[in-house]
Amino acid sequence: MSNSTPAAHPGKSKLWRPPIVGIITFVLMFFAIGLAHTMMVLIEHQLGQELTLKLSPLLGFVGIIMLWYGIKSKNENFQTWIGFFAGIIVWMCWVEFFYMWYGRENWGMLPRMDGADGLTVSGTWPEYMIMGSTVGTLLMMCCFYTFDKDTRCNMFLWFQRKLGLQEGLGVSTKKAKDRNYAIITFMETFFVTWFCYAWNLLCFDPGLVGVDNMFLAVNMGSVFIATIWSGFCFMRLIKFKRTSTALRYAIPVGNVFWINVEILGKFGMLTEIWVNPWKYTLEMSVMFAAFVVLIILLLMAPKKKSEVGGWNEQTESTG
Amino acid sequence: MKNCSLALIAMVSMLFTSVALAERLELPKGMGGVADIGTIPCDVFNQMLVVGPQGTRLSLLTWADGYYYARTEKTMDELVAAAKQSGESWDFERLTDHFTEFCAANPEAITRDAVVSLGNELISEAS
Repeated sequence: MSNSTPAAHPGKSKLWRPPIVGIITFVLMFFAIGLAHTMMVLIEHQLGQELTLKLSPLLGFVGIIMLWYGIKSKNENFQTWIGFFAGIIVWMCWVEFFYMWYGRENWGMLPRMDGADGLTVSGTWPEYMIMGSTVGTLLMMCCFYTFDKDTRCNMFLWFQRKLGLQEGLGVSTKKAKDRNYAIITFMETFFVTWFCYAWNLLCFDPGLVGVDNMFLAVNMGSVFIATIWSGFCFMRLIKFKRTSTALRYAIPVGNVFWINVEILGKFGMLTEIWVNPWKYTLEMSVMFAAFVVLIILLLMAPKKKSEVGGWNEQTESTG
Repeated sequence: MKNCSLALIAMVSMLFTSVALAERLELPKGMGGVADIGTIPCDVFNQMLVVGPQGTRLSLLTWADGYYYARTEKTMDELVAAAKQSGESWDFERLTDHFTEFCAANPEAITRDAVVSLGNELISEAS
């Protein structure tokens, strides 16, 4: 991930053509979400819950230091990777672990119970009950990106077109070379994770969607929307040639598709092996090995000059 | 005729009473925890402790406060104050550690057993 010159032009490579780049980045992102869950479990196991929760604000600064380093770089590919990993670390430490401390320890909240007799501890733990309540803040931030003329996110650009905002907002003053992809990817990772968590948590909240038939209907509707949405985005993703752009675009595609995984897990239709790495050591080792190989493949993939510091070529729309 | 009417009313009343007794107390849907934490299996209590340690402890301690008052007409504060005179002070941690230790050792018991066990210890320490 250094500021090296591109090994070869991606257009000349026989391997690194659509749909390979898109497929690899999607699989990588899908594994990354599972492995991020595993990482949390491992950190908690190694440090103990009490120490983990105490150290989490400090651990989050590791992500910020990475981000600082990435932002100084002129290499878009490097910036993208750093922004992604920093986003995951900060989300994990400053949101998940910190909410865990607030909910479980500081506020003394109780987990939501499930089952016919109400005596089964559901997956909605105190930290997730807090997270569900942040949906208003999330929507407020989404308003900012909807009304920001410099946003390049395809979803917000679509909103702008449908709301007839583009004329009023005017042309973006920033070009691709003016953008720092470390902070863009960092924010994207953070917001996409937040958005998908909120989506799942609201659909899992019996206080909002009720129980029994309504609960089933809402969550099956959720599966339908998530599948169509991620499928549509995946069809776009597999047309990408630039690995940096594909990586950024794969963040929401993988996360939106993961919504289905959470719902199937909620209904007991799949085993969440990523939160039981001790029980599924072999499976998780294979998943981790595949993840590392995919990263190496993407790092070795030929890059356009614009991805590694040069901005002479036209770039695709960014994620 | 009058006797028949009274008997019918009594039967209907009994039916409604039994229905009312059969209904389980349920929490509003979005809330965490259980409605009657003093009557749940210790095994469930142990699982709740993992993801809601402080809240689960407090919830059972609050239940215990009511239970002790009903049995002894003394509040938790009064029981603790009496017990304090003869030994180490009973703070939140020590009181609720008794529940968690009891339930860890007796997962097949119910949480009320842990409450009774603590009550016995407080009373024996006070005497």
